[in-house]
Parts: sequence; C-alpha cells; structure tokens
Amino acid sequence: MPDGNTPLVSVEGLRVEFASDGGTIVGVENVSFSVAPGETVCIVGESGSGKSVTSLSLMRLVEFGGGTIAEGRLRFAGQGGEIDLAQADPETMRGIRGNEIGMIFQEPMTSLNPVFTIERQMTDGLRAHRGLSGAQARQRALELLQEVRIPEPERRLKQYPHELSGGMRQRVVIAMAMACRPRLLIADEPTTALDVTIQAEILALIDRLKRENGMAVLFITHDMAVVAQMADRVVVMYRGNLVEEGPVGRIFAAPQEEYTRALLAAVPRLGDMRGKPGPEPLRLVGADAPDSVQAAVPPGDPEPLLQVLHLTTRYPVKGGLFRRTVANVHAVEDVSFDIAKGETLALVGESGCGKSSCGRSILRLAEPTSGQVLLDRTDVLALNERDLRRKVWRDIQMVFQDPFASLNPYMRLAAQVAEPLSNFGIAKGSEIEDRIAALFDRVELPRSFMRRFPHELSGGQRQRVAIARALAVSPKLIVADEAVSALDVSVQAQVLNLMMELQSTLGISYLFISHDMAVVERVSHRVGVMYLGRLVEIGSRAQIFENPRHPYTHSLLSAVPIADPARRTVRDDLKFRPIPSPVFPVGHEPAPSVYDEVEPGHLVLRQQAS
Amino acid sequence: MSYLVNRLLSMMLTLFLISVITFTVTNILPGDVAMMIMGTQSNPEALAGLRQSLGLNDPLIVQYGRWIGGMLTGDWGNSLVFKEPIAPLLLQKMKASALIVLFSMSIALVCAVPLGVWAAVHANRWQDTAASSASLVGVSLPDFFWGIMLILLFARGLGWLPSSGFIDPADDIWGAMRHALLPSLALGLGLMAHLTRMTRATMTGILNQEFIRVARAKGLDEGTVVWRYGLANAVGPVMTVAGLQVGYLFGSIIVIESLFNFTGMGWLTYQALLNRDIPLIQASVFVIAAVVMLANLIVDLLYVAVDPRIRLS
Repeated sequence: MPDGNTPLVSVEGLRVEFASDGGTIVGVENVSFSVAPGETVCIVGESGSGKSVTSLSLMRLVEFGGGTIAEGRLRFAGQGGEIDLAQADPETMRGIRGNEIGMIFQEPMTSLNPVFTIERQMTDGLRAHRGLSGAQARQRALELLQEVRIPEPERRLKQYPHELSGGMRQRVVIAMAMACRPRLLIADEPTTALDVTIQAEILALIDRLKRENGMAVLFITHDMAVVAQMADRVVVMYRGNLVEEGPVGRIFAAPQEEYTRALLAAVPRLGDMRGKPGPEPLRLVGADAPDSVQAAVPPGDPEPLLQVLHLTTRYPVKGGLFRRTVANVHAVEDVSFDIAKGETLALVGESGCGKSSCGRSILRLAEPTSGQVLLDRTDVLALNERDLRRKVWRDIQMVFQDPFASLNPYMRLAAQVAEPLSNFGIAKGSEIEDRIAALFDRVELPRSFMRRFPHELSGGQRQRVAIARALAVSPKLIVADEAVSALDVSVQAQVLNLMMELQSTLGISYLFISHDMAVVERVSHRVGVMYLGRLVEIGSRAQIFENPRHPYTHSLLSAVPIADPARRTVRDDLKFRPIPSPVFPVGHEPAPSVYDEVEPGHLVLRQQAS
Repeated sequence: MSYLVNRLLSMMLTLFLISVITFTVTNILPGDVAMMIMGTQSNPEALAGLRQSLGLNDPLIVQYGRWIGGMLTGDWGNSLVFKEPIAPLLLQKMKASALIVLFSMSIALVCAVPLGVWAAVHANRWQDTAASSASLVGVSLPDFFWGIMLILLFARGLGWLPSSGFIDPADDIWGAMRHALLPSLALGLGLMAHLTRMTRATMTGILNQEFIRVARAKGLDEGTVVWRYGLANAVGPVMTVAGLQVGYLFGSIIVIESLFNFTGMGWLTYQALLNRDIPLIQASVFVIAAVVMLANLIVDLLYVAVDPRIRLS
C-alpha cells in the first residue's frame, strides 16, 4: 500500500461468472488490487482481459450484462464507513452510484440519451442523490460545465447531445460523473473513440479534476501510451487474470512478467525511429527470430508507381423536394503526391480530414471531381468501367479497418480468397486450391483455416485473411485504410510486421491511411499530413517527425501520448482549434494548394489568407 | 414550414397518381354504369341514350377530367346503389369508421407498449417467451377469426355486448361504445400483437445502449431508467409503425365491418364493390388513400416532437 494510506477501494479475490448456453464462463478470476485516495490506477489489457468486467463489478453494473459476482470482496471506504460492495443491496448501490463512485464510458456519441436535453441529463442525478430543487440543480450543472471548460454553458444546457461534438459530449459525460463530487471516478476507455487532439484535452481534464478534487481514478485502457501518461500505479490483466501490479515507472522500466514485456514490446513509441533509415519491424517477445525479418528495401526506382495530381473529390449534399444538390462536402481538395515501387506512403490526419476519401478516390470507389491519377502512366480517371476493373482494381487492392465487416459471414474463407482469382481469371480448378494454400502460408495462417467461417477466427486472423485476399491478384499497391486500428496491440504488431515483411519480399507499395502517429512512424518511408481535405505537409518520415513545419503537424505531434512515464506531456493548457466544416455552397472554388519546398522532398502548404 | 409545404405537395402528387390508377382500373373492369342504372333487361336504345347523356361515350381522358373536376369542386356525384349524393354519405360513414379505427388503435397501444417493454426488460426469460409466443399467435391469425370468437364469447355466450349494428355517438354515446367495442377489439388484437413485437424489439435494442448504462451509473432507479430513459427513445419508432398500420386497418375494416354489420367505410366499400357502384368505388378509394396519407403525415410531424434529432428540411 503506498504511503500506508487506508485504501479507498480494495478488491479481494474477485471472481465474476457469466451464464451461457454452454455453461458458466469465468469473466475474471482471483483479481486483487487496491486504490488509495487521490491515486490513479490504470487497468491495462487487451480485449477479453476482463478489465471492463472488473470496473463494472465495482459499480455492480456487471449484473445488468448477465454477470454475477461469485467470489471475493469489494471493500469501499464510503461516507458511511466501509462496506462490501459485492454484498450491498440494490438500494445501497443506487445511493453509491453516481454519488460516491462516478463512471464514464468509451463512446461519447452513445453515452448521452439522444432525446433528452443536456440539462435534464445533468440534473436528474443531482436531484436523486442530493434532493436539489430544479433551480439549484441547474445552478450546479452550470458550475460543472464551467469546471470541464465547455464554452457557453448556458446555451449547452438547452441543447441536445447531437448538437455537440464528440469531445464536447465526453466533457458533458465527465461533468455528469463529477456531479456529486465522487471519491472515485471509474473511466472505462474514455478516449479510445476520440481523435488524438481531443484525447489529449480529455486526459488533461481528467488529470486536473483529479488533482483539484483529491479524487481517486480507476482508468481502464488498452493503450500503453495513455497508461504511461496517466497512471500512478498499473494493474496488467490478461484473460481474466491479474498478471502484474506495480508503480508505473517500475512496470515500464522493469516489467517482471513475460506478458507485460510482450505487451510493451508490441507498442510503437513515437520517437523510436529517430535516425533509422527505413521502416523496421517491431521486435516481439516470444515471436520466432524477429531479426530474420529484413528491413524493407528503400525505394530505388525513380519512376513512381502511382502519381496523384491535383486530386479533388466532393460529395454532393442533397436537399429539397427534388433532391437537388444544395452544397458540397469538399472531402479531398487539390491533393498531389506520388508513391514509388516498394514504398510506403502514410496519410495521417484526424477523422473527417479526407484521408479515407483520398484512398477511395484513387480506386474511383468515390468518383473524383477533378485531377489526375496515373498508375504506371495510365490515366485511371480516363478509363471506362471495364478497363478500370481489369487494370486498376487488379493492380490496387484495399484492406479495410474492420476485418469482420469486410468478410462475408456466410462464405468459407477459402472461397473468399478465391474470389479475386476467379474474377480476374487468374487461376482455374485445382490451381485455385494450390494458390489459396500458398496465400494462407504467406500470411502465416494454418491451412486448416481454409474451411472455416469468419466468426471462427480472431480479429487479427481475420485481418490476415483480408490481406491474403488482397495479395491473391499480386497487386502492385495496397491501400490499407486504418488496417490495424481495430486490433489489439500485440496483434497489431504482428500484422504490421507481416505487412513490412511482404513489402520487402514482394516489393509491394502501400498507401497506409492511419490516425496513429506512432504506427505511421514505424512503417512508412514518406508521410503526408492531411487537414480539412488538404495535404498540408509531405516529406520523408524523418522530415515530418523530426522537422515538422506546418502548425497543424506540430499540434498533431504534440497531442500524441508517449508510451514512456518519464516523458509526461499531459498539460492543462492544451486547447486545440476544432476542425471547421468542409461543407461549402455549390460553385465555391477554393484557391489551389501552393507548397513551399523547405528542404528537398519536404513540401509545406503555404498558409492562405482566408 | 417549407417542410410541410413539400410534404403536402408530394401528397397531392401521390393523390393525383392514385386518382388516375383508380379511375383507369374501374373503367377497365367489366360492368356498365348505364346497365347498372337501368337493369339488364332494359331497352338498348334507352341504354345508348343514357350512355350518351352520362358522357360514357367520351374519350377516357375527358371522362377523367370531368370526374376529377367534380371531386375537386365537391360534386362527387350520386351513388348508384344508395341513390344519394356520395360526399355526405362518405363523410357520415367515415365518422363511423374513425370511431373503431381510433378505438382499436388506442386499445392496441395501451396494451402493446407496456407488454413490449415488460418483455424487453425480461429479454430471453420466461416472461419474454410468454409475451412473444402470445403475440406470434396474435399476428398469425386473421382478424375475422378474432371477430367470430368475440361474437361467440361476448355476444352469443355471455350476452354482454351486441354483435352487430352501429349507433352514432352523437345520439347515444354509451350505446355507440357498446356497439363499437367488439369490432374494435377484433381489429385491435392483431394490431396489438404486432405492436408488442415491435416495442419489444425496439426496447431490447435501446436497453443495450450505452446511455442506459450511463443512466444506471448515475444511480437512477430502474423504473426511471426503463420507463423514461428507455421508452422515450422507443416512442418514435413505435409510433411510425402504428401510423403505417392505419393503412392496414382500412383494409381490415372491409371484412370486420361486414362481419359486425357496422355501417362504416368498410361496409360501404364492400357494398359498392358488390354492386359495381363505380362512382362510389372511385370516391371511397380516393378518400381512404387521402386519410391514410394524412395519418402518416401526422405521425411524421409528431416524430419531430419526440425526437430532437429529426429536423424538418
């Protein structure tokens, strides 16, 4: 126990079971840890580790999801003395929830009731716990909104959730959880669904509220970088069991357990690639000889594989009785870049910046408004549908973010990987079978998986199938749209290593679309930063990460949490400008993108007076 | 406001198309208005004269123009069977039908919503299985089956309620209710089963949403969580389905009103079809279509009131 304090919460031998058709499933087993007053404890683990089950048990909300606390004690030093939450009756629990323990959840978009005003949702807890009158509760709600620094709090109270941005909603959810000044705040992945700049703001906010109120925080996350920034102590969980517990410095500097070491090794750290010539696979603990994976060859061919010139894509906004176009979303605005053979170009930016639209426009999955896309000198935009299919869609393949949604749940995996082969007439009959077997070997999946269905595989395995399907037609370029974002870190590292290995042996180029700066630093040769449909800066990996020039690149990099507790960057003075709307009236023609070449190959968008 | 104008304009357009279709179809149907009026044994010359004077020899488009002109100016012509002007006849029968349509809809909603919520709260337990099985029986059996059962039980067996007839509420409100109850129940049972299933499905989805967990984490009691936080989100979808069912009800009343000898729109339409009363058929179809569309417009406008995310544009 740190400082010899009496703990606020102590979990002792917790075991949670879930009833299912196939018998009892154990959610967590024999988990013990404690949280001292005013302390931040992070529970970290991958999906299925039981970290959320543990936090929901403390609130006794796990029962609403079909779980039961089978064993263990949840001692809580409440205002009325110490009680065992595991044994508390529903009435007592209602008095504790939202009053002595506050909780915030992952999805700010769905955490608020869409049909009630902010005021109603902020005040009903206060009225229930504190018996405040309507006016008193409203006054308190106003104070809370000011405390979480929401601009124009008076107006917000009258608004509905959909009128607020994601970051603002998460602030409201935090304000709600803080309403009765709880002694413990449980935050279950509170920043996972948010953009990196918003994440930085929310982390700073939680940290400040904790300091000002002397409140303890139990922070659930899968992100080691967030742990490094927030935690006093860390609890590592794996498959329902507690693996290791200790102060944050010790966990990062000298992890005792094999699993913790593997987890830390799989996390790309911003700045790790400083001084390295090209992308480099992550060194995974326990994986077979990572050194055998060669660093990807730097591009040597001067002729670019893909050239994108002044690409512009706009989506019409329809309205009125006759569904006329009333405005345009300027998703991609005058973007130019090229990709050499065997090269990885990363496009980074926050949600809505146009990076995905850009990738889709190259394949004409979204039809560009203007510009040129040259693939091996062929003008993609001039092709008819047949040639587009035959040439472009064979040479460029896509891998998407959600591997479950991009596989057909009713088809066996072999049949799905075979589809491109038969579509393009590449192989017939028994040759298809052999090719698929070779592709499964290629992405390191057992051949027995060929007869399986997608739901029988894990997320990482499914993404390997998606990659195998993309590789089936021997493409020259793979557009990977957030291809590893939905995966657990250890699985993400394996898939990234596989992609880098495929590049070095097959010479494939990647357009790597991602919001994760640390991953991008790891895999890319060159990086383009997008903001509001424009490419604001492009250059080699070293130029962008070590010498960023555009203010947006600066703020993006400063917002990224670093997986090193010795380098804490969580600051309270962070205030990022919200991204303006990319919707413009019909006929609006923005000025062309003009770039300054600050060093060879490093282009920065000239700031426009708007 | 421009939303309302748009909606009314598109409603006009739909009504115009319906008028063209009804007019064309009723004219293609075998049967001759002149012969319906004068009888099959009549003098061919007199028939030809009547055809000429009714304008039945004019091109179809001219006949349509004359008909729609009359509909728009309130001159809906005379019923061939009832020998009286159609407009006041339809208005009177529509009032009778409105009574049982609204009555059955109220019965259905009052029972279905709590039952559906209750089933959703106990999802995948015996309460849910019981409610779901019962409503599956309800949706599977046709309305006239319920009608016959109700007559056998409450009219023949227990003798509590009359099995047929219609009384105007303006004359005798109590008698009107007694006469309307059985046909409304016959209409409402199937509807109730349908709405129960719909409410259950909607609520099950809502109760798994994150904001429900957040409401519980605030320490609100379970009643508030389910009946306020949950149900407020289900009102819109359930209302929309109920609105769509108004169309289905106007189909059902043709059988049910005839079964109960309840002289409303359904009964009238049935009589018109049986006797090839073409002007009455055309006008009834037109009016029913207009009423159903109006009901759905009202539901859409109410949706805006219950869901702040929907904006009229």
